[in-house]
Amino acid sequence: MKKLEPLAWVGPAVVLIAAVVIWPVVEMIRSSFLKISRFGVVQGPNGLANYEKLFAEKDFADIMVRSVIWVVAVVGLTVLISLALAQLFNQRFPGRKVARWALIAPWAASVLMTAIVFKWMLDPEVGVINLIRRDLGTFVHDVFGVDPRSLGLLSAMGGEAADQLGQASTAMPWLVFVAVFVSVPFTTYALLAGLATIPSEVYEAARMDGASRLRTYWSITLPLLRPALTVAALINVMNVFNSFPIIWAMTRGQPGYDTATSTIFMYILKNSDIGESAAMSVVNFGMVIVLTAIFLKVSRWKQEVA
Amino acid sequence: MNKKLVGAALGLAATVTLASCGSGSGTGTAGDSGDKAGGGQVTLKMVAADYGDGPGKPNSGQKFWDEVVAEFEKANPAINVEVTVINWNDIDKQVATMVQNGQPPDILQTGDYSGFVKDGLLHKAEEVLSPGVQQDLLEKFAEFGKVDGVAYGIPFVSSARALFYNKELFTKAGVAEPPKTWDELKAAAQKLKDAGVSQPFGLPLGQEEAQAEAFLWMLGNGGGYKDASGKWAINSPQNVETFTFLKGMVDAGLTTPNPGTKDRKTVWEDFAAGKVGMANGGPMSIPIFDAGAVKDKYGVVAIPGKTGPLDTTLGVMDWIMAFNKNNHPEEIKKFFDYFYTGPAAQKIVDLYKLLPVTKSGIQKLSGDEKLKPFLDALPNASFYPFTDPKWSEVNTQIKQTMGGAVQDPAKVLGELQKVAEAG
Repeated sequence: MKKLEPLAWVGPAVVLIAAVVIWPVVEMIRSSFLKISRFGVVQGPNGLANYEKLFAEKDFADIMVRSVIWVVAVVGLTVLISLALAQLFNQRFPGRKVARWALIAPWAASVLMTAIVFKWMLDPEVGVINLIRRDLGTFVHDVFGVDPRSLGLLSAMGGEAADQLGQASTAMPWLVFVAVFVSVPFTTYALLAGLATIPSEVYEAARMDGASRLRTYWSITLPLLRPALTVAALINVMNVFNSFPIIWAMTRGQPGYDTATSTIFMYILKNSDIGESAAMSVVNFGMVIVLTAIFLKVSRWKQEVA
Repeated sequence: MNKKLVGAALGLAATVTLASCGSGSGTGTAGDSGDKAGGGQVTLKMVAADYGDGPGKPNSGQKFWDEVVAEFEKANPAINVEVTVINWNDIDKQVATMVQNGQPPDILQTGDYSGFVKDGLLHKAEEVLSPGVQQDLLEKFAEFGKVDGVAYGIPFVSSARALFYNKELFTKAGVAEPPKTWDELKAAAQKLKDAGVSQPFGLPLGQEEAQAEAFLWMLGNGGGYKDASGKWAINSPQNVETFTFLKGMVDAGLTTPNPGTKDRKTVWEDFAAGKVGMANGGPMSIPIFDAGAVKDKYGVVAIPGKTGPLDTTLGVMDWIMAFNKNNHPEEIKKFFDYFYTGPAAQKIVDLYKLLPVTKSGIQKLSGDEKLKPFLDALPNASFYPFTDPKWSEVNTQIKQTMGGAVQDPAKVLGELQKVAEAG
């Protein structure tokens, strides 16, 4: 009887995980092998046809490559910026409290809201970012006689040049920017917490040994920060890979599928073929696991986080 | 296997799956069908879509139907009607749940009927409509309510498209008349551009409704999604020519920039703000334009085609249908007759800026100057091939990629054709 006691404590959690995690995963995988009508009625087994159709989509390969680039770019930039910000916020300076609070804002705001706000700011007719570009353009034209377009500024609102979300080459950097913008606060706070755990004696010892600042950062701060860094980056990898609202609100994956990631593609497919969409979900799920496994391997999770 | 890794994998799975079930919703509370409450009383259950701004709003569908039903019950004390109004996003799912549970409503008003016919769930139209009402329905519309020659779906309301133009900008640019042909349209757009208008022609080929804008242009050249024999013809020579013309417009900067990423909502808002010279719109855009800077400064005409104005337009219609499970055709007939012959049919059209589906309804609206181009084209409207089971897939693909056809018409239209013909 005593042996069974832990089960009473763990049991509810196991049941919960089985109900909200494992069962949906099983359902997802099962659906990917079914033929499902657009009204949601199961019409019978479909073998591998959903997967064959998915892999035959002409945009599939591009979308998968873009998803990986998207994750690497967003997480990479987020981590780099957060490392710098965490270092900054770890210093004592006047107004630090206000600055720390301000950093929370993008995190506290809904991601969808942030994305919509940026979409509006980039509106070709009335967006504030484009208004600034036009006003600066008028200024350089009037004062220096320079063609504003040569500086990436605008001579008038509403044209092709003002429509940065309309082309993949300019839309993608903006999407990455917004994704970094909303990911930085959490990452910075995770790293700040990590920095707080590094004992000051280590730094004192380093100073007595005459280590340079760069050397101290490289050989003491970064290695000791690794557990926090690994967890923060890992959560970001999963979040960003599954990130939906930013791209959906700002471009809907358009033009064509040129700004779509696999999550967006899965959602679009849901309108036409639920089985194929489920197959995309399974591929997505596998991708996250593979990406995570690679990441853990690279960051040697077992030694460092234990 | 390391325990922590298992934990991490589970946590990971949680993130993924939780994210994936966010969109599921819809609890079908179908309520008990208290069929006959004694004394010959019959209760009809009705499910309807909400054309208004949602529950609690002055134009909510529930309020509209409650008023209609109150009047109806006064005239027919032996019949009770219970109306459940559901928003457009959830109605399909909730009705599907009701049907699966064996509790379909008696009357359903929504966007499609064809899915229920195959399973033999619906009354024929002639069983629930009196001949007078049936004959009053526009033939072209009623035709689409038929499956294998038998009418099941009853047209409920419709909508159509016409060209809106900004009179003030036209005067400023020195364009005397709204265009009737593509050449006139291009010339007018050029003049508007020269006068500093940033979007001479508003061209929304983005995801929201690319299928509508593209179709309107195809109709202008005798094209369409299917040919006269009912075969898919998305990449027909006419359509390629149409999009080659549009490509010329886009390349010359005469349209909304990057049309493949612009939704009609954005273009209509820009039109309302006075930044667009011309754009295709419907009766539902009138309130948007009237709320903006262009109130009383715009005109509505038939959509220009390649050689002359269109005598057709894109028609979109919604349906009402009767389920046969509870076997109340007589009572349903009374309710339908009351709806189509009484003030209700006109009221719904007025309230939500929709168009009627009956000849008498069109007659009643004929005095409205702004609605005239729509009403003229309505009896001869063209429709999406929505009865084709492939349409939902083709439509999804059109919404996403049609915008690319203004860069490479033959290639993009060819790919869409391939999707339509596959499987």
